[in-house]
Amino acid sequence: MGFAQILANGVVLGTLYACIAIGFSLVWGVLNVINMLHGSFIVLGGYLTYFAWASTGISPVIILPVVAVALFVLGYALQYLFINKVVTAPVLTTLTLTFGLDMILYNLMTVFFTATPRRVSLDYGRIDALGVSMPVDRLIGMGLALVLTGLLFLVLKTSRIGRAIVAVRMDREAAALMGIRVNHIYATTFAIAALMAGAAGAVFAMVFPVTTNLSGVFLGKAFVICVIGGLGGVSGALVGGLALGIIESFAGVIVGPQNAITIGFLIMLFLLIVRPTGLVGVKGYE
Amino acid sequence: MTTQGTSHIKAKTLAAALGAVAAASLAAPAMAQDVLKIGAPLALTGGLADEGHKQELVWKMWSDKVNAAGGIDVGGTKMLVEIVEYDYQTDGKRAGQLAEKLINDDEVNVLMAPFGSGHTKIVAAVAERYQIPLVACVSSSTEVFNQGFKYLFGTLAPNSGMTEAMVAEFKETMPELGTIAVYGRDDVFPKSMATAISAAASGAGIEVVYEELYPVGAIDHSAALSTIKSMSPDWVYMTGYTQDLILGRKQMEDLGIEAPIITMVTGPAYKEFTEGLGELANGVSSSTWWHHATGYTDVSGAWDSTDAFYQAFLEASGGEDPDYVHGSCAAALDVVADAVTRAGSVEPTAVRDALAATDLETFYGPIKFGENGMNEGREMPIIQVQSGEIKILYPESIADAEMMVIE
Repeated sequence: MGFAQILANGVVLGTLYACIAIGFSLVWGVLNVINMLHGSFIVLGGYLTYFAWASTGISPVIILPVVAVALFVLGYALQYLFINKVVTAPVLTTLTLTFGLDMILYNLMTVFFTATPRRVSLDYGRIDALGVSMPVDRLIGMGLALVLTGLLFLVLKTSRIGRAIVAVRMDREAAALMGIRVNHIYATTFAIAALMAGAAGAVFAMVFPVTTNLSGVFLGKAFVICVIGGLGGVSGALVGGLALGIIESFAGVIVGPQNAITIGFLIMLFLLIVRPTGLVGVKGYE
Repeated sequence: MTTQGTSHIKAKTLAAALGAVAAASLAAPAMAQDVLKIGAPLALTGGLADEGHKQELVWKMWSDKVNAAGGIDVGGTKMLVEIVEYDYQTDGKRAGQLAEKLINDDEVNVLMAPFGSGHTKIVAAVAERYQIPLVACVSSSTEVFNQGFKYLFGTLAPNSGMTEAMVAEFKETMPELGTIAVYGRDDVFPKSMATAISAAASGAGIEVVYEELYPVGAIDHSAALSTIKSMSPDWVYMTGYTQDLILGRKQMEDLGIEAPIITMVTGPAYKEFTEGLGELANGVSSSTWWHHATGYTDVSGAWDSTDAFYQAFLEASGGEDPDYVHGSCAAALDVVADAVTRAGSVEPTAVRDALAATDLETFYGPIKFGENGMNEGREMPIIQVQSGEIKILYPESIADAEMMVIE
């Protein structure tokens, strides 16, 4: 099989991975919270998109923003009502809390949606060019993932709320003294992360079948991507996602799919030892 | 007076209480004898929740039907059936703990195994330790049954039976069949099927051009399927669970894989597979342990024909079709009832011996346990999706279609 095909597979998968990891990276980097709910948020986004598409027939590209906003509201509420109460506690406390919330969300989804795999069928065919075969729905997914990542980058860089998030990340106390409502910023950050997870779920459902038991898989991927790319910015998730996608694609062909995920983990461990900030992470957020 | 009166009342109360306790202790064994207790650790939440609910549904159908008819005959006494179930949350270790609880606290007479070979293996070790008969209805890996356990019985047949017949059948339909690519999930059942098909294909002179496993939790198959495409095999054989198979089939189409035969075990046996894929499911073949299109009639058990079970299932499920999990698990309780009736007792050793001597025709097909406790009494159907419907290609006695090559 050609080098171009393997690379193209990896790049498309990598952008989807970046989209999965970006919200997780934001919450970890800004709030210092390892959000165990992240994988379930993605699955929830995927299921909501599927059911909205299946019952109305509306294009999932239009459904995506609605699902993302719904997840934003859910994320804001969860952070404001629960996580803000313990956000300054040791990391184990927030880990336990989000783990508990995840169990509730996961089981609620299993009860209401069942564990049956659901797939949004967008059979647009495929494009064959330069020795590469690529399904159109994957290209759409990649495009959406890149747009979402770019939008988040712009929000953080240029908007008032984005600058407030960066300020809180740099120094919580100083930001509070400057009149920034820290709890509101925390809740907003968590909500943006949930929004990104919901949008990533919607994109995912357009390409892959979604089931509840994917939540753990998504969480694991987000973890690896954040360590490979580094925390502290959008670029970390993008670089980490692309790196993991390409590594898994080449490893799948060279050492077999069975070992591809192991190779990803080995590279993560190696980076943890030699470069704890990740490939492009900001020092101080490792 | 007052003191005397009080003590009199106390003595009366005490006597009454003692009498009640004595009556209860006498009544307890009598009650226990009137009910056959069947223990069932089930995955009602977690990743295997869909499968757990399937088992729960048919067991309820079965026990309701049998109890409504007055129960089962055990040594001249009619016994009602009670299924004691707990949710083990798709956590194998917890399934083992709950099996212990069912044996020790609930004092069940017989255990039913949970879904899948992996979890059955765990529960089987517990059942063996306490010498309680265990009937597995959704486990087919011979490695689970080849541990020398005496109390384990399974209603599915060994995996090898599903592969050798398939290779022979396909080779007969398509004599030019020369290459196969095997791609399977690294999990007890799918892995054993992948290994078995490779051996069967090699044995029949078909070259295995690709043989790889993918890890549990893989969410993308493009690397493997791109490699398979470059090898242009005549037959692509993929094993896994519904989600893997739906994605795998779609990605085969996306990447332009044009194999005349695509087998996905056990995808087409599940409605979720054909629903999730729509037209892409057409032509996909599989082997399965049972399908409701198999028309067994005049059989023993709660239902006297496959169709009687099918109609009852449609009513209980609100119009859903049953799959082999439903069939095998309902028939497994027919096996238990038959064994208890023949044993004339619920005593574990007697039930175990009766189970070992089972030779039963059910709506699910014949059930007869071999040396290792697996059902060796049947030929398993090869099925194929044709125009959205499940057709049976093999065995000839129940086949209703010719094999279709994918164009």
